[in-house]
Amino acid sequence: MTDHDLKSQRSGESLARELQQALDQKTALLHEVEHRVKNNLQLISSLLLMQARRTPDPAVRSALQGMLERVNAVATVHRRLFQSEDVERFDVSAFIRDLVSDVVGASGRHDIKATLNLERIDVPAVKAAPLALLFSELLGNAIRHAFPDGRPGEISISAVRENAHFRIEVADDGVGTETEDVRPGFGQTIIKLLCEQLRADCETTNANPGVRTVIRLPVNGKH
Amino acid sequence: METTHPLNVLIVEDEVLLATELSFLIEEVGCRDVGHAMSSDEAIALASALKPDLALVDVHLRDGPTGIEVARRIAADCGGIALFMTANVKRLPADFAGACGVIGKPYSEHGVKTALNFLKVCLREGRAPGLPPVGFQLAPEWAERWGLGDMAQSA
Repeated sequence: MTDHDLKSQRSGESLARELQQALDQKTALLHEVEHRVKNNLQLISSLLLMQARRTPDPAVRSALQGMLERVNAVATVHRRLFQSEDVERFDVSAFIRDLVSDVVGASGRHDIKATLNLERIDVPAVKAAPLALLFSELLGNAIRHAFPDGRPGEISISAVRENAHFRIEVADDGVGTETEDVRPGFGQTIIKLLCEQLRADCETTNANPGVRTVIRLPVNGKH
Repeated sequence: METTHPLNVLIVEDEVLLATELSFLIEEVGCRDVGHAMSSDEAIALASALKPDLALVDVHLRDGPTGIEVARRIAADCGGIALFMTANVKRLPADFAGACGVIGKPYSEHGVKTALNFLKVCLREGRAPGLPPVGFQLAPEWAERWGLGDMAQSA
C-alpha cells in the first residue's frame, strides 16, 4: 500500500467517523424533540384537567372537557406515532382502537358498547392530527348525544379501504338527530374545517335508529 | 370482611403541575398520595422514610435522567414497587430497573386510573385480573409473577 493509499484510507475512515457522529447527534436531537413534544402535550392536558376540576360552572367545565378530549386525541397520535419505527406513516386503526378504549372507558358509560371493524389503514403522518381530531369529534358526539338519560346502546366504528378511498364510519343506535340542538356547534365547525383540509367528504344520515356519519378520505390525497 | 388499606403512592416527578394533577387521580381511585419528590435524592429519602406501596417515577428528574436509578433503589431497598411514567418508553432498560411497568406519556386521566386500578388488584391478589389496560406496559418479570407469562405487551 502506498503512502497515498494509506492517507486516503485514513481520510475515508475519519470521514465515516464524522458522519456517524453527525448522525448520532441528529438522532439524539430527534429523541429530545420527541420527548419534549410528548411532555408538553402532557402538560397541556394536565392543565386543562386541573382547571376543569376547579371550575364550578357546568358550561365552562364542559367546554374545558371538550378541549381536553381534543388535546387527548392529538396526544394519542403522538404516543402512537413515535411508538412505531416508521414516523412517516400513521396507523389509523391502531389509533382508533386506543382512542375508543380511552374515550368510552372515560365516559363511565358501561351501558354503551363499542364494536370495531378495522382494517389496517396507513395515512401520511401529516394527516394524523387532523384525522384524529375529526374522529374524536364524531366519537364524542355519539357518546354525548346518542344515549341520553341512561339509554343503553351501541356505537359501531369501522375503518376500511374502499376503492380509492378510506372509509371511516361512526354509527350509533341512539335517539337520532331530532332531539339534538340544531345550531351548528363548535364541534360541527371543526368537523367541516378538518374535512376541507383533508379533502374528505363527511356525510351524516339517519341510521334508523340513531345517526351514521361516514367520512371518505382519498387514499392518495397529496397536499 | 377484610379491610384492605388504601395503596400508599409516592409521586416522583419534577413537573409540579403533572405531580399535582396525578395527586388528584391517585385519590380518586382510592389510593393515598403520601408525598412528592422532584429529584433522585428526595425520591430515595422519601421512599426510605415512607415505605410507599407504589412509586410513580418519571425518568427525567430535576437532577437529570436519574429516575431509572430511583426505581432500582426503590425496588431493591424500600420494599415498594416502582412504575415508570415517561415519554421515553423505548429507552428504558430491558429489565425495567425492577419497576413493574410503564405508562407512556402523554397519558390520559382514564389511562392512569385504569392502570392504578389494575395494579391495585395485582398487588392485592398477587395475580393480574386480565391483560394490562391500553397504555400500560407491564415489565416481563412482573407479568410472569402476576400470571401473564409472556403476554406483557398491551395492544
